[in-house]
Amino acid sequence: MNKKIISITSLVMLFIVPLIAQDANKLLKEVDDNLMPESYEAYRKLINEEPDGSKKEFTFYTVKKGKDKIAMLYLSPASEKGRSTLRLGENMWLYIPNVNKPIRITSLQSVVGGVFNNADIMQLEYSFEYDAEFDKGTEKEYILNLKAKNKTVAYDKLKIWITKEDKILRKVEAYSASGMLIKTLEFKEDKNFGGGLVRPSAIETYSPLYKDYRSIMIYQAIKKRQLPDEVFTQNYMSRLDDLRR
Amino acid sequence: MNQLFRSLLKIFLNVLRIQGLFSALFFIILFQKDTYAQAEEESQSDNEPELEWSGNLDVKYLLMNMNRESAIYRLQFPDASSSLLSQYRLEPYLNAGYRTSDIGLYLKTHAAYYNDREASFDLFEAYANYNLSFNAFIQAGKRVYNWGKGYAFNPAGFVNPIKDPENPELAQAGLLSANIEYIKSFSSDVLPSLALQLIVIPPDELINSRYGEVKNTDFAFRSYFLLWDTDIDLMMYYSRINPKRFGIDFSKNILENFEIHGEYSYNKSVRHYSIDNTLLKSELLNTSSYLIGLRYLGETNTTFIAEYYHNGAGLTKEEYVSYNLFLTDSYISDNSDIKKQALSYAQSYFRNNVIMQDYFYLKIIQPEPFYWLYFTPSFFTIYNLNDNSFHVSILLSYKPVTNIEFLLWPSILTGSDKTEFGSRQVKQKSELWMRVYF
Repeated sequence: MNKKIISITSLVMLFIVPLIAQDANKLLKEVDDNLMPESYEAYRKLINEEPDGSKKEFTFYTVKKGKDKIAMLYLSPASEKGRSTLRLGENMWLYIPNVNKPIRITSLQSVVGGVFNNADIMQLEYSFEYDAEFDKGTEKEYILNLKAKNKTVAYDKLKIWITKEDKILRKVEAYSASGMLIKTLEFKEDKNFGGGLVRPSAIETYSPLYKDYRSIMIYQAIKKRQLPDEVFTQNYMSRLDDLRR
Repeated sequence: MNQLFRSLLKIFLNVLRIQGLFSALFFIILFQKDTYAQAEEESQSDNEPELEWSGNLDVKYLLMNMNRESAIYRLQFPDASSSLLSQYRLEPYLNAGYRTSDIGLYLKTHAAYYNDREASFDLFEAYANYNLSFNAFIQAGKRVYNWGKGYAFNPAGFVNPIKDPENPELAQAGLLSANIEYIKSFSSDVLPSLALQLIVIPPDELINSRYGEVKNTDFAFRSYFLLWDTDIDLMMYYSRINPKRFGIDFSKNILENFEIHGEYSYNKSVRHYSIDNTLLKSELLNTSSYLIGLRYLGETNTTFIAEYYHNGAGLTKEEYVSYNLFLTDSYISDNSDIKKQALSYAQSYFRNNVIMQDYFYLKIIQPEPFYWLYFTPSFFTIYNLNDNSFHVSILLSYKPVTNIEFLLWPSILTGSDKTEFGSRQVKQKSELWMRVYF
């Protein structure tokens, strides 16, 4: 009898677990769709606040196409202006105007310093980089545990909070492979960006590794834009600014 | 030239002053509003000017402990009574760019100011480009090219300015040329994109300093492929006067934190200079040069860059000893003409930063150690594998405030007195830079 119960339970689990995972991944895709159009251009400002109250600011222009193409241009400060980064799936390059040559880098490297790193700034869709599973949620929020699909992703595991009502991302905790909490991202200040896109416009980041430091990423503008694939090539990196004219 | 330099310096300082006023106004506004409101307002008033000025002022203090046993030091500094020398200089970089969606015009200038009697001005770049489409564009003027995948050396950099391995990211002067570039992307995982570039270079041998013979025009061609997640370039340089060159390079991430790269070039009829029994010997050689390197990002965010470089046109150990002996014999002779000639040879034919055949380069960069934000120490060494002499440097960079950087850069050159780094003018040096951007 016991054997029968175990067999039936195993059989049920065999079908149900993938279905639950499928639902979690479907929800994750929905969250992605609510955050960004698949192809867009955006202006962002990154503000690093230090314990003494001083600030460092960076402004970026970003273009993204499809699931795996994203390019970003530094607009300010003057010391970084003209730098650009390009990500094509797992390939990533950095272009420095003085050097005038794209250099291969990894998504784990920090380009600007501070609490944010490349992976935060050059992030593709969550559903492209992670597999999702449901965790025990709250009355108003779903909680998903995400596991990186490969090692090119900066954070091995994420825990994310999603509103049940409108499926908007509210919080992300990023963990290393060893389970250490690396940083927490909080999504705030919902804003209507036009074209039916309403989403948080500010992402605040804290890290236990950088006590009393805070980084805020502010989305200033997001617009759907279709660009040719040629824009997402090494040879176009020095010309990204032309897209803004 | 000095007058031109002073005028440019005046413009530069005026731009800084105007920039300063705007910055002050900006900060007054910034601290009156909260962070989000401020950022949103900027987004609404986002109207980029078409003409943009940028640049930086480098203030550099250099302290050198000279190598008084060095022949080249004796020839270059015959009147120095002390081995401890210093230099204080200003280096303004002033850039301008005018862009529309189709055309662009760019200017990059550099000046070095030592005192009112000693200053220089360089036009690094002055070029215009026209975007024919997203796929193609043309450029004409003076432009810096940077071919090759190596960090410290580029044996396949046929159109590059000569790189200084001590500071590979330093802005340099470009090449007078015109080029056309074509990019094509494909919906393919194997070959997502390719690019072709043709550069036309006017003759560098001129009649009456202005006119070149059309038949002496040089051509450089590069094709780039992103093939199986690997960057691959094939290059060639065609010239009737200069060496003909063929090259290939590649770069690939073999692990998520481990990149390898390499370059190879075959060079036909390269001019090779050496000293044979106190006479300058010049011969044409067919040579191969190559580089193999890696970039590794460790768990503690430490970056390692290592490269082995073979320069087929460089001096052998014996040739370097002969050259050094020639310099030594020249400075101990009482004949000022011989001294002048030796110095002229050194500055004309043996002037590159590294002139021998085999080098190992290692750079270790540790950004923000102990969670000290905006502080980046790094270490690098250039090791001459032919004579076991080497150059070691530590570079400490700190950017405490936006647009200001401080650099402390001590270096040691070591080797016996017959070796490349051991016979240099300088034994130890230390530089302190303050760099302000606008």
